[in-house]
Amino acid sequence: MKVSPIHAAVLEALADDDGRSIHGIASAIDEKPETVTGAAFALEEAGLVQVEEVDRTTVSLTAEGTTYEGEGLPERRLYAAVVESVGTETPVALGDVLAEADIAGEEIDIALSNLARKGLGAIDSGELTVVADPPPDTEASALAAIAADDTDGIDAAVLDQLERRNLISVSTHTERTVTLSSAGAAAVEEGLEVAEQLGPVTPELLTSEDWKQAEFRPYNVTADPPLEIGGRVHPLRQMAERVKDVLIGMGFREMDGPHVDADFWINDCLFMPQDHPARTHWDRFALEQPERIDKLPDELVDRVEAAHREGVGEDGEGYRSPWDEDFARALALRGHTTSLSARYLSGRAIGELEPPQRFFSVEKVYRNDTLDATHLLEFFQIEGWVMADALSVRDLMGTFTEFYEHFGITDLEFKPHYNPYTEPSFELFGTHPRTGELIEIGNSGIFRPEMLEPLGVEADVMAWGLALERLLMLVTGAEDIRDVHGTLVDLEYLRTEEAIY
Amino acid sequence: MPVVDVDPDELRTLVGTEEKTDDELIADLFALGLEFEGRNEAGKFQLEFAPDRLDRLSVEGVARSLRYQYGLERGVYVPSVGRSNWTIEVDPSVPTARPYVTGAVARDVSLTEDTLTSLIQLQEKLHETMGRSRAKGAIGLHDLTMLQGDDPLEDGGASVTYRGISGDGGQFVPLESSEAMTPARVLEAHPTGQAYAGVVADYESFPAIYDEIGLFSFPPIINGQRTEVTTGTRDLFIELTGTDEWTIEKMLTIVCYALDARGASIESVTVEYPDRTHRSPDLERDRKHVSHARIERTLGIELTPDDVIDLLERAGLDAVREEDTDTYAVEVPPYRVDVLHPVDLVDDVGRAYGFNDLKPRYPEVGTVGTRHNRSRFERVVRELLVGLGFEDLLNFHLISERANFDRIGVEPTDDAVGGGQPVTISEPYSEEYEIVRTWALPSLCLVLENNTHRAYPQRLCDIGLVASVDRDERLKVTEHRTVAGVIATHDTSFEDAAAPLAAICRRFGLSLTTQPTTHPSFIDGRAATIDVGTGPIGIVGELHPRVVTEFDVEVPVAAFEVRLDGLQSAVESHNE
Repeated sequence: MKVSPIHAAVLEALADDDGRSIHGIASAIDEKPETVTGAAFALEEAGLVQVEEVDRTTVSLTAEGTTYEGEGLPERRLYAAVVESVGTETPVALGDVLAEADIAGEEIDIALSNLARKGLGAIDSGELTVVADPPPDTEASALAAIAADDTDGIDAAVLDQLERRNLISVSTHTERTVTLSSAGAAAVEEGLEVAEQLGPVTPELLTSEDWKQAEFRPYNVTADPPLEIGGRVHPLRQMAERVKDVLIGMGFREMDGPHVDADFWINDCLFMPQDHPARTHWDRFALEQPERIDKLPDELVDRVEAAHREGVGEDGEGYRSPWDEDFARALALRGHTTSLSARYLSGRAIGELEPPQRFFSVEKVYRNDTLDATHLLEFFQIEGWVMADALSVRDLMGTFTEFYEHFGITDLEFKPHYNPYTEPSFELFGTHPRTGELIEIGNSGIFRPEMLEPLGVEADVMAWGLALERLLMLVTGAEDIRDVHGTLVDLEYLRTEEAIY
Repeated sequence: MPVVDVDPDELRTLVGTEEKTDDELIADLFALGLEFEGRNEAGKFQLEFAPDRLDRLSVEGVARSLRYQYGLERGVYVPSVGRSNWTIEVDPSVPTARPYVTGAVARDVSLTEDTLTSLIQLQEKLHETMGRSRAKGAIGLHDLTMLQGDDPLEDGGASVTYRGISGDGGQFVPLESSEAMTPARVLEAHPTGQAYAGVVADYESFPAIYDEIGLFSFPPIINGQRTEVTTGTRDLFIELTGTDEWTIEKMLTIVCYALDARGASIESVTVEYPDRTHRSPDLERDRKHVSHARIERTLGIELTPDDVIDLLERAGLDAVREEDTDTYAVEVPPYRVDVLHPVDLVDDVGRAYGFNDLKPRYPEVGTVGTRHNRSRFERVVRELLVGLGFEDLLNFHLISERANFDRIGVEPTDDAVGGGQPVTISEPYSEEYEIVRTWALPSLCLVLENNTHRAYPQRLCDIGLVASVDRDERLKVTEHRTVAGVIATHDTSFEDAAAPLAAICRRFGLSLTTQPTTHPSFIDGRAATIDVGTGPIGIVGELHPRVVTEFDVEVPVAAFEVRLDGLQSAVESHNE
């Protein structure tokens, strides 16, 4: 019979025996036990051996058990000390005898409770009395037997008690015994032919042409491969890239601009009154350093201030709110990327723009708010706008419907809304795929004349800000966006998050 | 955004639609822009809405909007206003910081526990919104029968006086107290006084309203107990003070409409300033003009003039088409504070039509899309790093000063990568996020610190924003994108960080030169500047064990950080 070297070695090691343990075989043929186990099972499959499995219990002393085995159990030591000092059936003050017995700390409780449990004595009003002729101590003798590795005769109840006292540990493992089957015995009898099997394919093997005669040792191809991590683009970044691709496909150009900006661009150009609650320090990321810029474009400031104070157009009205250029020069981390839209629309980013235009950005915005499952201090806003001579609410809705269809979201709901800088305005809602909850995914509208006129725009402009994280939640079913973003990220999340496309 | 609690049963009664189920009401309210947030412990709807239609801050206002929505009412409604014999005299002593006062009388009010709660809610919500937390305008409600007016002219008239007094210039027993207090004492010892003390902190004197008996109101802080409104109150005296006259008149108007809806009769009072006199409330309609073409253009639908007039009336407005023009003259009721421009009327037409009945269409506007140059380059670099086995991270741009500097061993004054004065937040919620990071390696070290229980190797990269103060810049801040990477495993060395950098440079046709340098975060002799032909643009090396152990990492870490714009300009000049 032709067999592999390891199989031949195992069979031969069994030839003279009635059965051997895996470890016995391994040391006999100088192989690793796991290699022998693998070979034994393969040989069993081929009908050449039988493998018997027996669960064995091993009992061993814990550190505490070893100590007591040497010094004696605390209750026995206490008993002996009492007998030594006053004899049996005579009360003695507990304090005196503890010192005598050299028992202190937590051993006191152990000694007293076990003394009572074993019927060696009793305590009454701080005095201890021990009995004459105590019952034999099965626990002490069991400890000695375990130390001597002779565990067979120990009563199971005693073992349980010792395990509860944490003096021994009991573990179970499977022991396998391998025996030649009659077919195996016959094969050994007939003589085994060892087939030379090759391990790794090496450059030497390839050049030597030895491979032409060789037989390849089979590998365990069902085993788990080693961990490979590899690189990947962050899932939220991937979503940002996908959004950019979709918007570029829809004809949008990308904007870029400052994260730290003057309130003028973040709020005043958007017709946000200076006493608007969103401009108070609680929501806004006002800066301590640097505090404000020196100069704003004069003419634009005048036009923006006039819109705030008087409104625009014949019937126009302004806000009854204070307006101060100093306040407009204050610096903040932008709360929305509409600041970029204001810069581009004003002609100050890349020059005057004539209709038609489409622009977008997918960039970070900042909100001074408490962190929770759906609110982060920093998140990505998908900002977009379209400029044309005539645009309607239907064009706005059609643009969203088109955009969200690219992400498989077809159940959009539009809620009429209010923004200081758009009219009409809409909030957008989508249904979360896992929770079924209607979640707000963005805000949109047609820019007001009070915003556009000062910026020098004569055409219609429709615009929106959508939360990228919310889109990710809708697409992947994620429920907590804190897992995704920031230095608290769990690498395991990045390594196991399903790829999306 | 404001949240208002509304009892659905009360709403049904006020609207006159007893058959509507809660779910139907919720759907109809959503269409109005009022979002159902849940129920409070008493089972009332909690409705959230944007702060434009402040007339909807009460159940009466919400009911009025629903009546228009259902077509149960149309056109402008203005309550009739009788004339009371009350006058508010404005004394020259009023604080210059709070010069305006107004008021009204409401008679035959029937208040139950519920309607009183609703009225107080309206008052509080108006304070939060238009009143800017009472700073811009505040309302005081009083039981009229408890007031005793002066009658200096002996003509049967009654008057109260708005004046300014010093902190101990008068005293009264405020609400929720049994002790007579001066204004100064209220600010110091009364819970409401403590809460709103900031509003009057800079005033040169305190606002006070007196009747013949004495001080009965300390606006905008608290009323006196003598005139407390209870369920037994039949006649109300309403006073408002503030910093903007239009604002307090509109707040008063909204309160008067709510009381009128409860069956009260509104009566005017005379407000007598030293130099002028007027009667309030002023329930005059406003007039705006909007063109037919503008409505059709913005809504994207065709309408007949009759349609437009019908829709405007259903929005609670009155409209007539002006002869020989395509323009409508539209009458706006006085409780509307949100109509600044004709576009606001277009929105009303759209809401009355039903925005969700409009058919979306893709605009026929031809444009060409492109990426920004910087973002295109950033994407390529990120993909190269990922191809080299880096896990791309998305760290916050905000960080603690301690992580950005102290823990990694760099100081703001260091002339080294990571040095520079940071942009600081003035009132951060958390010290974990108090400055904009000046470099990205601290963020990556934090990720290593938080993931020591995860499998190594950890090859992490971060392409993101960093910033520092630069007084020469127009915005006083210089921002740029940075490319940072760390490699952490049991046998990391300098070359593990230098090799991927060299690989990226090769892809762009650049050659990488590394020159020895020193840096407080790196081991001396194992740190080098990165130069791709345009001068130093970054650093690469082995992080010092001081830094590695500071972040609780137990394997060696090699790192690099290089300016993305520096790399891009080298690539662009190489390509020229």
